[in-house]
Order: sequence, then structure tokens, then C-alpha cells
Amino acid sequence: MSLKETFLQNPDRRYIMFGGKGGLGKTTFSAATAYWLAKRGHRVLVFSVDPQASLSDIFQQDIFGKGPIAIAENLWAQEIDADTHIKAYQGEIRQKILDMYGFDQVPEEIENYIAAASAEPAMEESAIFDAVVDIVVEGKYDYYIYDLVPLGHALYYLSMAKVYDEWITRITKLREEMREYEKVANVMKRQKELEEDQILNELQYIKNRIGASSKILTDKLKTAFFFVVVPEEMIILDTRKAAELFARFDVPIAGYVVNRVLPEELAQQDLPDYLKNRMLMQKKYLADIDRTLGEGVLARVPELERDVTGLPMIEKLANIMYGEV
Amino acid sequence: MAEEEIKSGGLRGLLTAVRDVFYGMASHDMTRYAVRTRASMEHLFILITMGDLLGVPILPPYYSLRLLPYVVPQIATWKRRMLREKDLTDAMA
Repeated sequence: MSLKETFLQNPDRRYIMFGGKGGLGKTTFSAATAYWLAKRGHRVLVFSVDPQASLSDIFQQDIFGKGPIAIAENLWAQEIDADTHIKAYQGEIRQKILDMYGFDQVPEEIENYIAAASAEPAMEESAIFDAVVDIVVEGKYDYYIYDLVPLGHALYYLSMAKVYDEWITRITKLREEMREYEKVANVMKRQKELEEDQILNELQYIKNRIGASSKILTDKLKTAFFFVVVPEEMIILDTRKAAELFARFDVPIAGYVVNRVLPEELAQQDLPDYLKNRMLMQKKYLADIDRTLGEGVLARVPELERDVTGLPMIEKLANIMYGEV
Repeated sequence: MAEEEIKSGGLRGLLTAVRDVFYGMASHDMTRYAVRTRASMEHLFILITMGDLLGVPILPPYYSLRLLPYVVPQIATWKRRMLREKDLTDAMA
């Protein structure tokens, strides 16, 4: 099956992710896929969850932290700025405290806590996670292309939904138990009205958001995860390991795209030994890839003559990937 | 309640009085127990969500910030209770 066919045969797909080790072409493939889908008349948002995002570079336009930016017809791109997101979020929390209690300023102890919590390393990832939930829950686009972070981080990102889900389920349960005691006391004191538990409401809100994200990541119909590999031993080994881990998180792996394949035509030319050896090596690993990943390999993308940046190069790559030559 | 008693006359008033006596004998302790358990759980809850305040980091800070505004008034008593030199189980008794 080709990459194009997987899209045509799965019209319900809405969330497309490219994953792989750093520097193999995840961003490039995300951009090319977004471009191709947009050309076919779908509304597409390609967005980056990587703090060191490179969508700005590939589209040759500064889009960092500016929300969805129109790149071409039907095509939008977005790079999430975690810092700004965290600052805005802190501001909201502070304002809420001031409004709720009529303070002039946030008590020092509380202020310290807000600052300390935001300095934690998990904060940035959580903020991005939350921003992504915002984007996908809104549902304004036909396709969402996630330009993911390198493998280790992506796994962390995926597992986060699961960990959060468990955490929140437990404390929601504790909160509900507390509610029961409150009710008992109320009944015995024969008070009819029980104040609404705002915290429980908040917890349920968080639970829904995490649940929504978790559901997307494991939805076999709507989500497709593609691995990017290159014909090199280490990369193939790492990718296989990662694929197993991803499968354990129920991520629907839709296939593999092989990048940086040296063009066959080169072999006909008079090549220096160095290049000849590299071609031989690639042949061996390409055979490896075909043997181990088999049907899963959806496209082979050649090493191009120059960097993929700017729309004309993206278009060229999209045509190669999706066989529209 | 007083108005109700006058309106409904002796029987209703008597009934209310009896009910109050029974409440005092039977339920008051239970109510106190429920309220105290609820308070203990409240502190446990804050520990789980806001543990960072005492230097006990418990995941994940992003979402616990969302709950922070609601526990602001309880933070002071909670800290006092958590940090005093007593076993936590004493508090549950």
C-alpha cells in the first residue's frame, strides 16, 4: 500500500503524527503531508509540540507563539510557545484568587507556590499538552498534523495522558468520598442545601480534557502514527524498539516512511568509492527494513538535492511522497 | 422554626422537640465524626494536590495550579497541622 492509499482508504482519519529520532525529517514530512492534504481541499493545521520547533524554518516565516498562521489556501501552521502559555495561565490563576477573596495582592506564600510550580521541568510539557488539547478540542480543522518531538520525548508525551488520567481519577475519587461525608453530616444536621463543590467541578473538567486527549492518541479510526526511518542500522533498531513501546500505549501505528534513500540512478554513474560504499550499505539496510517492517513501509523518499524549505520544495516533496508526479 | 411551632400547635412542637433530643443523643457524635473525617480528608487532599508547598512534589504541577484558588483559605491551617510533631494517624482518630 502507498501512503496516498492509506489516506484515501481511511477518510475518518483526522489526527496525523510523524515520529522518529531527531533529525530524520519529521517536520519535513509533516509539512509535506499538510501541504498535500490542503491541496486536496481539506482544511489542515500542522502544529508543533516541540519547544525547539522548526516549522518556522521550513515555511520560512516566523510563526512561533503567534497562533495558527495561514501559510497557503486551506493550510495553517502553529508553533506553541510554552512560556507564554504558562505566563498567561499563571495570570489567570492569580486573577481568580484575587477575585474570589477580594485580595489586593496574592499572599506571598501562594505566590511562591505558583512560582515554584512553574519552575518544575514537567511544567513546560504539561503546558504544551494542555495547549494541544485546546487546539484539537476546538475542532476547526479537517486534519491535525502533529509535528512531534523526538522519540523519547514523544513517548513521555503519550504516557503523560495515561499518568494524568490515573492521577486525576484517584483524586477525583477521594474528592467524591469527601463529598459523601459532607452529605452525611448534612443529613444528620437536617440541612437541606449542600454547597456545590467547586474543586470537584474543576477535577471533572481536567479529567474530561485529559480523557479527550487520551482518546485521540489511541483512536484507531481517527489517528494515524507514522514512523520516519532512514536506512541505517542504529535508527532501524531504535525505531523497532520504539514501535513496540508505542504499541504498548495503544498508539495506532499506521506505517513507516523511509527517508534519505540515495537515488538508484546514481549507481549508473561513475562514483567515487566513498559513495559506492554508502550505496551498498543503504541497499543492505533497505533490505533489512523491507524484511522486518514489510508491508508497513508506505513510501521511500529519496535524498533531495537540497534542503526542504519554502513552499516550492515542500510541494516537490509532497509529490514524491504521495506519488503525484 | 419557632413560627412553625406556634402555627402547628402542640403536637408538631412536641415532635420537633423529641426529634432534637434524639438528634442530640444519637446523631450528634456521628455528625461530629463525619465533619472531622471530612476535615482530615480535606487536608489529605491538599497534601496530594499541593504537596509542593511543603516540599513534597506530587505530580503534576500544571493541573494542581487550577485547584489552588479554592484551597487558599485552608492553606494556613493545613500547613500547621501537617508540620506539627505528631503522627498523622493521631489526627484521624
